[in-house]
Amino acid sequence: MDRAFLTDLRRIVGDSNVLDDALELLTYECDALPHLRETPAAVALPSSAPQVQEIVRLCARASVPFVARGHGTGLSGGALPVAGGLVIALARLNRVVDVDIPNQRVTVEPGVTNLDITKHVAPFGYYYAPDPSSQQVCSIGGNVAENSGGAHCLKYGFTVHHVLGVEAVLPNGELVQIGGSLADTPGPDLLGLIVGSEGTLAIVTSVTVKILRRPETVQTLLAAFDTIDAGGAVVSDIIGAGIIPAAVEMMDSLAIRAAEAAVHPNFPDADTVLIVELDGPAAEVRALFDTVEQTCRRHGATTIEVAQTDEQRMRIWRGRKAAFAAMGRVSPNYYVQDGVVPRTKLPEVLNRIRALEARSGLRIGNVFHAGDGNLHPLICYDERIPGQSDAAVEVAAEILSYCIDAGGSLTGEHGIGADKSQYMPTMFTPDDLALMQRVRAVFDPHGLCNPGKVFPTPRLCGEVPGPYRRHPVEAAGVAERF
Amino acid sequence: MQKTPDPLWITPANASEVAGALKRASDARQSIVIRGAGTKEDWGRPAGGIDVVLDMRRLNRILAHEHGDMTATIEAGARLRDVNQALAVHGQMLPLDPPFADRATIGGLLATNDSGPLRHRYGTPRDLVIGVQLATTDGVLAKAGGQVVKNVAGYDLSKLVTGSFGSLAAVVSATFKLSPVPAASKTLTMSAADTAALAEIVRIVMASQLEPVAFEITTQRSTQNPLNSQNKTLSANSASSALTVVIRFASLPAVVDAQIAQATTALETCVTSIDAVEGDAERALWDAYATGIWDQPGAVVRASWLPANIAAALDELAGLKPCATSAPPAPAIPGVSPVMSPAAVAQGFSPALTGRAAVGAGLIRIDGETAEQASAIEQLRASSVFGNVVIVRGSAELKARVDVWGSHGSRQPLFDALKRALDPNNVLNAGRGPL
Repeated sequence: MDRAFLTDLRRIVGDSNVLDDALELLTYECDALPHLRETPAAVALPSSAPQVQEIVRLCARASVPFVARGHGTGLSGGALPVAGGLVIALARLNRVVDVDIPNQRVTVEPGVTNLDITKHVAPFGYYYAPDPSSQQVCSIGGNVAENSGGAHCLKYGFTVHHVLGVEAVLPNGELVQIGGSLADTPGPDLLGLIVGSEGTLAIVTSVTVKILRRPETVQTLLAAFDTIDAGGAVVSDIIGAGIIPAAVEMMDSLAIRAAEAAVHPNFPDADTVLIVELDGPAAEVRALFDTVEQTCRRHGATTIEVAQTDEQRMRIWRGRKAAFAAMGRVSPNYYVQDGVVPRTKLPEVLNRIRALEARSGLRIGNVFHAGDGNLHPLICYDERIPGQSDAAVEVAAEILSYCIDAGGSLTGEHGIGADKSQYMPTMFTPDDLALMQRVRAVFDPHGLCNPGKVFPTPRLCGEVPGPYRRHPVEAAGVAERF
Repeated sequence: MQKTPDPLWITPANASEVAGALKRASDARQSIVIRGAGTKEDWGRPAGGIDVVLDMRRLNRILAHEHGDMTATIEAGARLRDVNQALAVHGQMLPLDPPFADRATIGGLLATNDSGPLRHRYGTPRDLVIGVQLATTDGVLAKAGGQVVKNVAGYDLSKLVTGSFGSLAAVVSATFKLSPVPAASKTLTMSAADTAALAEIVRIVMASQLEPVAFEITTQRSTQNPLNSQNKTLSANSASSALTVVIRFASLPAVVDAQIAQATTALETCVTSIDAVEGDAERALWDAYATGIWDQPGAVVRASWLPANIAAALDELAGLKPCATSAPPAPAIPGVSPVMSPAAVAQGFSPALTGRAAVGAGLIRIDGETAEQASAIEQLRASSVFGNVVIVRGSAELKARVDVWGSHGSRQPLFDALKRALDPNNVLNAGRGPL
């Protein structure tokens, strides 16, 4: 990156909004996957879409690769900088543009946090449904890039089901409007393509989402079981009965103990706990909740706790949502994966993971979205013990192979990013990947827009996937992993 | 569909035959169209010469119904109705109720992203598809997405082909997330005295915690509208007296009754009549509703509006002029008279709208002569209330006067580049669009 480029960059966003000092760049070396680090040549902090356009045009002219970054909470290295490239940090595009309660739509800039959308509409009885556990701090732009989910996507879907439109800057600097407040933009669903494209096709500068009316009733229970198979059988029977819970979460004993140590949710000391939440019309929740409770009893639930108050419900969720960060209480280091299996294959795959745990000598905690088969195995290790870091990586890769064997996916909500790109050929054929690359080249013919993500590339020296280390944001206690 | 004298009609039996046919056509620069049941083959721009028809109907299997996982992988040529009959064995369904639902195929539904009243709860095909196998014009079979409901690995190309009208690639098969068939269902039909009352009904339902599966508004006159056949006849030609709201609840029987009671209480002061139907009568109502907009002659367009703007939208519709003086003069078409016939004026001009109240999307039927239809469509496109106005059914004359798709705006360069990338010899879909 030459001086002229930096001069132009300063002209666009102002001196104080260009960072190129080594110390300042430290913050931007990684996202919430801190073992992958790269120092960008500079960081630009635009505050408007026209500035983003100008920056991208400048990059295109100078052939400088660029990486868009929201609030850096991604778990797959999607915002990992490119050496010698530019990071375009969108934190200052943080305006709430329009809150339209009658039409149940909200338009925000990408730097607005997920939870802030809900905060703006909660007084009117509405909320924004996708709820990644980092929702207090993650940006909606990052949610769009990753197609974020959360505990409640079993019933309510992912970001792609809640975004009505985006305004985006293409890698050639053109501003394009895709979708919007009005439904049914004619032609191919470019919106559905861009959501989840991990920042490789465009930089989103405005997002219109739909908001939902709060359900009439919410009911949550926590049930404990002696075996993970019993918990799995309950999930199968609930779904088999035609019930779509708002959320179904499972935790195994290691995850339970960790959560208990960290936030004291008062979980029973059990092999497995299951959290089931139903929401909707009061009459419906009442009737279906009975079925859920009976199903738990039939499969030998050792305890069933029904949340009687909002406070109790929040406590149950606090225990669940703290599970990742809580691993720090029981292990010096851990590595989290995000594989998906068909729900019916959960018991089989969990048993394989338990066999792997015994064989590898590394403890593996399991926290997962049981309703949609999204696993979050937490592989515990101690980096001070020689070889354990590498062993953790191998164990994680093996778990992903179980997911693929079972007909599942490498990632349910964290994204491929830089972390799992080398595994893509285990899920997709060269033809599959070539077609995706053709589409990518339509948007980004010169390969400048977040290169090195999603698709397998020959790795650079030292750029290896690896285990988890605490991100500064997480260490400060403002974010958790999900 | 305008055909060359003898288009080659190919009925592939498997995925590789689909890919092979596309490659042969592309290599030979032959125009090729992908066809399911043909229920929407006249949608889009008038077709140019067609050399090859790729009839997908032999690819009609359900490749997998993983009922425990609530997913199904279905070949493109399978009919929605047949699919849903098979899925019902395990109490599940692909929750789509598009027009022509008895014949429409899975591939055609994806290509057009078509849906019906159930969209209110379940969305459109793009919301339900989780994986796809595509055949491209270079003869390659490629997949995207997967078999699991939660998956963010790679680009979701199932979305890219949704709404592409078969102009980028052929859908060979697709995987969908399914829903349980509800135990019971009831439907409320209501009449509103005027557009303001109808808008108030929409407002109340949207702001409520009611959870219907369908929430419809229609302006079809009750004399033409089987929905109201058991009700009173209509007075004169008043457009407002035909305003009908239809709300369907589906859940456990007791829950449906509770929701119906709640809705009735909330709405009874806004309506001039309110009736609940269930069972055969309810099924008949929805069958009639699905065909209502199509049964009468006239052009049919898709259009969108903001849900809270429904009164303005309906007023705009009622105020459409048979021939707008402000509309640009239509290009002269040989053999087409630029002026409407006096007879058409005498018959009256009464556009009808049927749509999803809370989504703000639906179909508008525009009767009258070609010139009137063209003028009305131009007026809708120029209005500040309606957007995304696309002609679906229309005569060749109409489609020659008014572009079917309207402007793609800033998306046009992307559409052009996608078309070049995936169909470099421009053989797919015979120029019908959208790209």
